[in-house]
Amino acid sequence: MVELLQLPFMQRALIAGLVLGILLAYLGIFVTLRKMAFFSDGVAHAALAGAAIGLLTRFSPLVSALLFSMLLAVLIYWLEKKSSLSSDAIIGILFTSGMALGIVLISLRKGYQPELIGYLFGNILAIRSQDLALIVVLAVLIMAFIIRNRRKLTLLALDREMAYMAGINPDFYQLLLYVMLACALVLGIRVLGVILVSAILIIPVSTARLLSRSFKALVLWTTAIAESIMIGGLLLSYYLNLPSGAVIVLTGSTVFSLTFIAYSLRRHSRSQRP
Amino acid sequence: MPPILEVKDLTVRFAGGPALERVSFTIEKEEIIAVIGPNGSGKTTLLKAVLGLVPFQGEVRVFARPVRQVLSQVGYVPQRFAFDPTFPLTVEEFINLTCRTPEKLPAGGVLDEVGMAGFKGKLIGELSGGQLQRVLLAHALLHRPRILFLDEATSGIDIEGLSDFYSTIHRLNREHGVTIIMVSHEISMVYKFTDRIICLNRDLISHGETRTALTREVLKKLYGDSADLKDHDHG
Repeated sequence: MVELLQLPFMQRALIAGLVLGILLAYLGIFVTLRKMAFFSDGVAHAALAGAAIGLLTRFSPLVSALLFSMLLAVLIYWLEKKSSLSSDAIIGILFTSGMALGIVLISLRKGYQPELIGYLFGNILAIRSQDLALIVVLAVLIMAFIIRNRRKLTLLALDREMAYMAGINPDFYQLLLYVMLACALVLGIRVLGVILVSAILIIPVSTARLLSRSFKALVLWTTAIAESIMIGGLLLSYYLNLPSGAVIVLTGSTVFSLTFIAYSLRRHSRSQRP
Repeated sequence: MPPILEVKDLTVRFAGGPALERVSFTIEKEEIIAVIGPNGSGKTTLLKAVLGLVPFQGEVRVFARPVRQVLSQVGYVPQRFAFDPTFPLTVEEFINLTCRTPEKLPAGGVLDEVGMAGFKGKLIGELSGGQLQRVLLAHALLHRPRILFLDEATSGIDIEGLSDFYSTIHRLNREHGVTIIMVSHEISMVYKFTDRIICLNRDLISHGETRTALTREVLKKLYGDSADLKDHDHG
């Protein structure tokens, strides 16, 4: 175990996993409360086009995916405001179009495309130092903003009118939440990939909801579960020699399933009491 | 002294057509004002337009200023609270969400005022309809508003709780000078507890002192031939 932690790639993977675990799980609280799971999934999938642009132009795929997805988040926000289309329709169209554009752009490159697999399924063990630096800096900035504005973001996620009445500008904070979420999702793609990144947004908070009797407890449980899933999944994938992103997600879904069974049994036994 | 609320030629149009047409009225004194009218008459729209929650044409001034500039002096209890009941949020945490300095404005104070002091640690999703309305009222009272808007705030409250609720509203007005503007269907309670009335059916039907403006003729105009002062309560 100690030897394993001395491996530079494992050190980078653990730092990235811990930082992104806490960031994505905390954002997941707002995502589930505002029912934005489809937005998250959509932006993550469409980010493939951004990564493809980076690969084609030999620019950093991570940076180009970040810029592309943030632009997409602003576009979704603007269309939701200005058009009569439903949010689901807007996200559905942009999500599939972005993913299709990504596939077309990547197919323009000749030969086997290992990067495509990396972006689709993630590869936390292959994170480079410069990518890790960018992940840590952006994650810390986003976390600092969320912690500073947690009261406003929670109130906005609970009820838009109530947030307005409390003197919060709902449009401004909604746009910021969209952009930050898009940014966090792209950072998470390096770990879990386009297809699986939403799992770390949804699974820890959904598990924590079953265990929490207050918002404070929810935040603590969510972050603790996310970090445990990240570390546990990463170590398991290493020892079992299986893809890290998929094992992290499966670790999470196992934790959720066991918690849900225990929660249901407890509720059942309580309801049986006279 | 400037009027507490001034509404001039207020018109609200939605995709389906007009919801309010050129409504004008002024509230000068710290009174309890009821807004009544049949379903779809624009009562909720009137409150939302006054609060700046829906776009409108015309002019609205609260304490002689645009409402956005005086939101800290305004309280609002919505008709519906679109809240996920499975979300773990205690009553105290909910109240404190609106408060920048919870240590200076403890949630217990406002909860005590609405008879919910013993519910601080209870989850919002586990409250009954009536208890939730009381918590929403406490939430609206946290910053000691000078004007309070209630949109069918008594929905979900049983008959026993209804009288308590109106007594609380009455006390807020008489003892603390809070102007109350409430949308209500409980005509007998409106008759008993409110000072003035605004009767709406997309445009202004009648406006004045409750005892003189709330006549059988006005009720018939609003609700049809079957309407009466006694039998129109929904609660």
